[in-house]
Amino acid sequence: MKFKLIYPRWEKLDDQTIFNLPPHGPVVMAAEIPKDIEIDFTDENVETLIIDETPDLVGISMMLTTQVKRGWAIADMYRKMGKKVIFGGISTMLHAEETLLHADSIFLGEVEGRLEQVFADFRANNLKKVYNFLTTPPDMALVGSARRDILKKDLYYHKGYRMVDLFHASRGCRFDCYPCAVRYLGGRGFRPRPIDKVVEELSQMDNNRLFIVDNSLAMDNKWEKDLFRAMIPLKKKWVSHTIEDKDDVLDLAAQAGAWYVYQAIFDTSDYIRDRIKRYHDHGIGVEGTILLGMDNQTEDDIRRLIDFLLEIDLDLAEFTVLVPFPHTKAHSDLLKQNRIFDTNWDNYNAGKVVYQPKHMSPEKLTELYHYAWDTFYKDEPQTQKMFNLLDKVMQREVADGTFTPRRRELRRQSFGKKVE
Amino acid sequence: MEINPAFNQYMDRYFEFAGHWDSPSKCGLLVVQRKDGKVLAIATEIYRQNPGTPVTEWCAPLATQIMKSLACAPEKFIFVEHTPDLKSKLAFYEETFDLLDFDWNGESFANPRWTRLSSEQVIQMMGE
Repeated sequence: MKFKLIYPRWEKLDDQTIFNLPPHGPVVMAAEIPKDIEIDFTDENVETLIIDETPDLVGISMMLTTQVKRGWAIADMYRKMGKKVIFGGISTMLHAEETLLHADSIFLGEVEGRLEQVFADFRANNLKKVYNFLTTPPDMALVGSARRDILKKDLYYHKGYRMVDLFHASRGCRFDCYPCAVRYLGGRGFRPRPIDKVVEELSQMDNNRLFIVDNSLAMDNKWEKDLFRAMIPLKKKWVSHTIEDKDDVLDLAAQAGAWYVYQAIFDTSDYIRDRIKRYHDHGIGVEGTILLGMDNQTEDDIRRLIDFLLEIDLDLAEFTVLVPFPHTKAHSDLLKQNRIFDTNWDNYNAGKVVYQPKHMSPEKLTELYHYAWDTFYKDEPQTQKMFNLLDKVMQREVADGTFTPRRRELRRQSFGKKVE
Repeated sequence: MEINPAFNQYMDRYFEFAGHWDSPSKCGLLVVQRKDGKVLAIATEIYRQNPGTPVTEWCAPLATQIMKSLACAPEKFIFVEHTPDLKSKLAFYEETFDLLDFDWNGESFANPRWTRLSSEQVIQMMGE
């Protein structure tokens, strides 16, 4: 049996890097697909999707809201050909009711221990319209190693440099942040993987550079420190979201290979300034993630925040505008106030304003968003700042013997396409 | 379960409901039988104490379920959403009240529309 698994394309932000990272959801899902099934995976962000008659079943994995309309269009084409289509992934959960209109089946929740039955149902011509496991997350000990062998690895190189591979050590989140939907996605509690399973998967990965995609590593002090201690011998170098702000934790993180972190910068306080300094003191870089358009931000606040970012020596910054994703408090609040004026999901990309900001016009917020990118990268372009971070990690890799040279035969390719 | 003291001004019980995709959910509820014969129901969002769907996301089916549990007629039912003050530094956790207008399709409420109320207006509505 042939299972065609598709990761739909989406339009990148104007100011974002051109980098395409290998997707995580499809490889985690693939690990649970019965071994006798042939998986044909297409990541539409790096290759052309060929729609043909060969698959027995089509799966569409969607992470972002900006993927859903494309995912639905692909499903419509396959269903016209008489093929059954099943959807899964974060955005399937966020847009479940709409996705049902384009699907033979939708899978809600996490896959471990569940896909054997789904495929058995398909083979028995008894695919259910909805597989709902949203409120029953699996035992984390069931989460095995992701199947990265389904990826066409050469497509995730830019001029011979390999992109990081994505990896997760935990699921869920004990926080419930305003713009985030993790609460709805089954994340009300922090659920760590057993550390021996984490180490087993890391040991199998041939990529020395990783992005640990956990919502935050600062969830449980003991687990976090145990994790870092276990990672030290592996000599991986990694990017992650927040690490707990304690010297002993940051020290262990650095030893475990922390390369740089994504850290939310939400005000101009000394707390933030010191937080960034403490990362740097431990040799950990910082990419600030800055959300613009919150109700407590005036135009002056945003301009002051951008000035502040230049003072605190961030390594990189990524600016986004607030997006009221479904199943977030941001969505509820703006909906109640009738402030959402755009429900075209293609525009929910964190670069377009789809709601009426409280203290300015949508046009002004858009202007400030571009001003933020332009101002932060005015003296040193984003590519140079990224190279600075890459240089740091390469020096560490040379020092500990884990450095892998650039692949020269791919130096004229970027994500599968020829470049000069 | 004990009612969170921070929430209890506008609730005297918990109300359990099946939210999105049947997720077990819970809100605070205060029901006031008004002198004019109408029934005012105030549904309070209880945030972390609610394991499932927030009140706003499920307001139409929730209002329908509460109304039916009270054996009330739709034209005599007034539904108010309440988010309590979490004493947070974050402005979006301040106290709010919203009066809901719905369409009635003969079986259930649909097409919610919200009108912001002050706490004074809510107290006045409770006394009518």
